[in-house]
Amino acid sequence: MKKILALLLAAIMCLGAVSALAEVTDLPRNETLYFGGQQWDPVVGYNPLGDNMNNGLALSAAPRGTRTCMFETLYMFNGLDGQLYPLLADGAYEWNEDLTALTLKIKPAAKWSDGTPVTADDVVATWDVSTKIQNGTYTGYAPYIEGIENVDGAVVIKCKLNDAGQPANPLQVLNFLTGVYIVQKDWAEALCAKHNDDATAIRTDPTPDAVYSGPYGPYFANDQLVAFVRNDNYWGQDASMWGKLPAPKYLAHTIYKDNDATLVAFQAGQIDVNQQFIANVQKLWEEQGLPIATYSDEPPYGICATMPTAWYNMDIPVLQVKEVRKAIAMAVDYDNIIENAMTNQSPSFADVPRSVMNPTDGEQALYDHEAVADLQWVGKDIEGAKALLDSAGIVDSDGDGWREYNGEKISLKACCPDGWTDWQAAMNMVAEAGKAIGIEIIATFPTWDQYQTVFTKGSQTEYEIFMWSPAGAEPAAPWSRVRAFMSSEFVGVDNNWSGNFGHYKNERIDEIIRQIPLTTDPAELKALYTEATQIYLDEVPSFSLMYRPECFHAVNETVWTGYPEKDDGNNIPPMDCTDGYGIAALYNLELVDAE
Amino acid sequence: MKHTLKNVFHSPRFLVGFIIFMTILLTVLIYPYFVQRDPLQGLGKGFLSPGTYVSVYDTNNAGTYRVELPEANDNRLEASVPVKDRQTMLDYLTAMGADVSGLDTSNENFHALLEAWNANYDEADAKKNKYDGFATQAKRNELRRLNNRLTSDVTAAMSVTKGEGEAATVASVATSDYVKVSEVANSISLPLGTDNFGRDTLTELVKATGISLLVGLIAGSIATLLGLLVGLLAGYVGGIVDDILMFIANIFTVIPGFVLLILIYSALGAESRGITTCAVIIGITSWVWTARSVRSQVISLRNRDHVNLSKLSGHSLFRIVTTDILPYIMSYVVMAFILQVSSGILAEAQLSMLGLGPNPNELPTLGLMMNWAKLFGAYTSSNAWWAYFPVILVIALISFSLNLMNTGLDQVFNPTLRD
Repeated sequence: MKKILALLLAAIMCLGAVSALAEVTDLPRNETLYFGGQQWDPVVGYNPLGDNMNNGLALSAAPRGTRTCMFETLYMFNGLDGQLYPLLADGAYEWNEDLTALTLKIKPAAKWSDGTPVTADDVVATWDVSTKIQNGTYTGYAPYIEGIENVDGAVVIKCKLNDAGQPANPLQVLNFLTGVYIVQKDWAEALCAKHNDDATAIRTDPTPDAVYSGPYGPYFANDQLVAFVRNDNYWGQDASMWGKLPAPKYLAHTIYKDNDATLVAFQAGQIDVNQQFIANVQKLWEEQGLPIATYSDEPPYGICATMPTAWYNMDIPVLQVKEVRKAIAMAVDYDNIIENAMTNQSPSFADVPRSVMNPTDGEQALYDHEAVADLQWVGKDIEGAKALLDSAGIVDSDGDGWREYNGEKISLKACCPDGWTDWQAAMNMVAEAGKAIGIEIIATFPTWDQYQTVFTKGSQTEYEIFMWSPAGAEPAAPWSRVRAFMSSEFVGVDNNWSGNFGHYKNERIDEIIRQIPLTTDPAELKALYTEATQIYLDEVPSFSLMYRPECFHAVNETVWTGYPEKDDGNNIPPMDCTDGYGIAALYNLELVDAE
Repeated sequence: MKHTLKNVFHSPRFLVGFIIFMTILLTVLIYPYFVQRDPLQGLGKGFLSPGTYVSVYDTNNAGTYRVELPEANDNRLEASVPVKDRQTMLDYLTAMGADVSGLDTSNENFHALLEAWNANYDEADAKKNKYDGFATQAKRNELRRLNNRLTSDVTAAMSVTKGEGEAATVASVATSDYVKVSEVANSISLPLGTDNFGRDTLTELVKATGISLLVGLIAGSIATLLGLLVGLLAGYVGGIVDDILMFIANIFTVIPGFVLLILIYSALGAESRGITTCAVIIGITSWVWTARSVRSQVISLRNRDHVNLSKLSGHSLFRIVTTDILPYIMSYVVMAFILQVSSGILAEAQLSMLGLGPNPNELPTLGLMMNWAKLFGAYTSSNAWWAYFPVILVIALISFSLNLMNTGLDQVFNPTLRD
């Protein structure tokens, strides 16, 4: 009897396992585009107004490239040319004379998944409901946006004005256009009514039945896989938008344990589009002969738009000495970081001299290269760094091989989160540079949980040198990067994810940061950016260690092909076929074996 | 003593283990006299595969000798355009519908193949037409790289420029010109290649092995000494002392040792994790089972006649323990020590593999080498077996040899195991 029972139990378990597997593998491979590196841990929900939905494919909003598979933004940003491409919006937006109001129209063809048209009222409701429930959209844009109105069917975004009657920041309004999902008015109001306007309940409702305007809707989600299915009535097949439906019927993301597991699946062809740093990615095709490609098959293999940066903590007395900051930055062997830590997936600082700009042509043209040439350093200048320290009186007076400051040995920690491979290697090389010039630097890798609470504090003395990236490419860049590097508005602010994590203060740069958004004359703008670069390179409140792609984009062409590639004339950025204008890639995909 | 040693070395297991261990130990001790390189110095850029690297620049300045190797041309062709690539060329020509009659992958017909290739391959054309089997970006990239190799390596005549500026002379290099490797000013042998930081893996491995042995030795010594002390005291003194000591030991037994290690290590932070600190912590968390076994052996010894005789003679506790008890359990302690060393090395490797090892900037350890190899995808994307496999092998050999020595000793000392 016992035996029979045990057998029965085993049979039930097997059946359970098989049925679970069957559910997951149900998606036909030839109609599914699998992603990697975007979703960790199970999906929480689909609420575009909510927080912490942990939904990599549906809800990932950032001005540089919002993922518009399910919900859509007004415009899509294209990092290749820095332009905004209309999505829900119809044609270009228009500023009024004094940059206080922006007007745009909604595409007549745009429809929600329930078949009703997208209107200006929906945009207004998106802002109003966000204001009511004080979600991320509201806190992010309330300092810049006074309100949104529907004027004869057109959307009018009114800028917040400062005391002088000038708009607070027109550039941030552009970020709103590409960085905020528009939601349906009726749905949002019904959601509010359901929870009696309780803000927390609204923000945490997973809303699996949310009305959306994008090409894909929820299909399946458990702790192993999340999948979206194409809405075959998607409005974008109208000639005024894409003119057709995206090629894959399903978008899916298997939830992997870690980067290694993701990479193995990618190599095996179980992932089509992968967003993760792959050390020596070229070996995948050169040595292993796999059908894998990146945007370009020559270094740096992608479009580098951001600059992982080492920040100095100005709360530490010795780091308030400018010469110490500059000396460490001069001694670091950046070529080594780029070749070994980034495995050449970054241009070198000899190719693109350091400034506050990313390596894209558009930003590089914004400052006067000759005016700052004296201030730029290429690194590995041990003797120069030593001389600088000596001249500042930071010397080794007790002969132990380490320099002292105020009689105490200088000992600094260089931190980045554990498991962030390329950053860890970079921090190791900063530590080596310190050793070479007589300043003890110890590379330390706290866990991510611990790291993120410390470096975002309004003031901290735990990490002396630490890594984070400022804004990459987005409508408001490079202004947003100057601000992230040096604006004193972030000093003393707790839970600061926006910038100036080292708490640097400089009145002149604050003035420049105020002026740039209101400046439209190109020559004047260039002068301001040049001055900002001069201050940044002279004061060294932080220093960039490498250039890095905004998002890693590698594709395995076992099933699908036709991904964006360099010089293909399509002007589609390599943004994982989902982010910003990168989603245009979904419409060009073809099956490798068409039959 | 002499007899015991003789017995020990007659045990084949012990002997094999001893030889392996001594080989590793001697390598660690002698190697630095031959290669005086800083083990953490980056030489190459990223993973270089094992081999001898000769400076291209310096080969120009070395004397040339004339050597006529009959198979030279075939080798050259095979090296720059392997048969696999020729097959790709042929496949592409077939796919695009070119005339491939009379073409094959043999060395004799390579020139005909090359001509057909040059006449037909065009990058823009390949991109536009997406021929069957070559439609993907990856395939087209492969074709382009192949084409670049064909035009740069095979057909171009080679010449070198000597000197600089106006005095520069251009000399052509004949296919029969050879240089003697020992005459090239700069060359380096990297029997195990380099790791992700471009460090010479062999030098690093030797240094890391030494450090891991040291960690094992310190950890093993501490664990054994502590265990011995606690075991002797608890076993011989008994009573309340025994109760207290065993209470502590029981607490340590129920907390999983490795979890405890992880917690202590992460609480310490990387900056305070020196080699010695690491070893000491491993030592003080792994003395328990030694203590328990020593205690039980001491309990069985303490009522023997010769111990009672010593007691009656008024000998001190110290003397009784050292002369009447310790010699009887010494063989066991030595065996326990060997196992403690082995598990100390493994514990360090495991912790470093998790990124919790000793401070990574100063010295290499076996676990740290594994950790970096893992982080840089040595066994996935980077395809660099030399960065992790030798490390695994060394760890395996060390614990294998120590365990062999242990079982060998067991055979000699444990009467129930004797043949």
